Amino acid sequence: MTAIKPWLGLISRLVLGGVLLAAGLLKFQHLDKSQMAVRAYEMLPVGIANFIGIVLPFLEIGMGLLLILGAATRSMGFAGAALMVVFVIGISQAWARGLSIDCGCFGGGGQVEPGTASYLPELLRDGGLAALGIYLFLFPQSKFALDKFATTKKLDQKENQDEQ
Amino acid sequence: MSSKQQPGKDNFTRNLVIGVVVGVVLIMLVPTLLSKQTKTDAAIPTFASAVHGYGITYNADLKDVPVIDIYEDFQCPVCAQFEAAQGDYLESLIADKKATVVYHTLSFLGPESIASANAAACAADESKFLDFHKMLYTNQPKENSGAWSNAALAEAGKSVGLTSQKFASCVNKGKFADWVGNVAAEGAKKNVNSTPTVFINGKELNRGNDYYDRNLFKAAVERG
Repeated sequence: MTAIKPWLGLISRLVLGGVLLAAGLLKFQHLDKSQMAVRAYEMLPVGIANFIGIVLPFLEIGMGLLLILGAATRSMGFAGAALMVVFVIGISQAWARGLSIDCGCFGGGGQVEPGTASYLPELLRDGGLAALGIYLFLFPQSKFALDKFATTKKLDQKENQDEQ
Repeated sequence: MSSKQQPGKDNFTRNLVIGVVVGVVLIMLVPTLLSKQTKTDAAIPTFASAVHGYGITYNADLKDVPVIDIYEDFQCPVCAQFEAAQGDYLESLIADKKATVVYHTLSFLGPESIASANAAACAADESKFLDFHKMLYTNQPKENSGAWSNAALAEAGKSVGLTSQKFASCVNKGKFADWVGNVAAEGAKKNVNSTPTVFINGKELNRGNDYYDRNLFKAAVERG
């Protein structure tokens, strides 16, 4: 079991990091649309939503890159999971309130024709990605990562010893 | 795998990578945030009114008439449907001085939306906005297919009599690019989340048939 953990870590890093990077790059190309997507959730004052619409793609690109490279895996796993939880809350409240919006997860976003919004698959995907982030937070050691665990925090050292 | 490395040197690459990634993201983020602010020093086409969210405004000086704000994107297919359904009616309202009509040319569908909005502003500068506007929707190509490059837009302007060198150079230079950004920033502040979106006296028109049925739209305008 311990031998397989770093490989699971690698897969988690690549999947979560890859999704974040792709989502960030797609949003980055259409920032007006990204702002619109955040506004359409109707959770935040317009000014703050517009600010987040610009910051979010950069955040996702940065987190995605670090996860793929395996740098700061533990904190990025935590941050990634936290971000997914925020998305789940946003999509759930849109669903519960009967809003018809595109989640804007990979670019796009805004209002859509009533009845054409699909929330369940998005919730399941983000829930799964949150699980990968939590896994990385708990077991940050993974194959082909820049993080070197022998000299970092105590918990990580313990992880490392467990493996040996 | 890591225990054989020299302590202390281990994480140099990692820390460097973290620093570089965080640094590059921040260096790109700050100017992007600034570029999305309304630029008060932007070149503004004739007919555009800062009071009306930088939209191209007709009959701005009329009192006691409905104000119709139209948020649209030249590449949005539904906007072309709206134009086909209500374009003539809106133009008649403008000609008969029965309404203040403001066209907000948003540009969230990509580079060709920005190019089209800029070209429309160039047309406004020569008092041909409405003709150019109609022509763009009548000939709307597939989104970002390359059809509305600056050169193509300048060429297309000839079909509505925009033959001057001034127009062509305005289009090609993207003279009103900052203004296009201002229109987008003001639309974002107004919480416009899809196109077309119409406000009549500041009240959003009901989604659905009101947009595409002439009688329903007319009734909504007359209700004010």
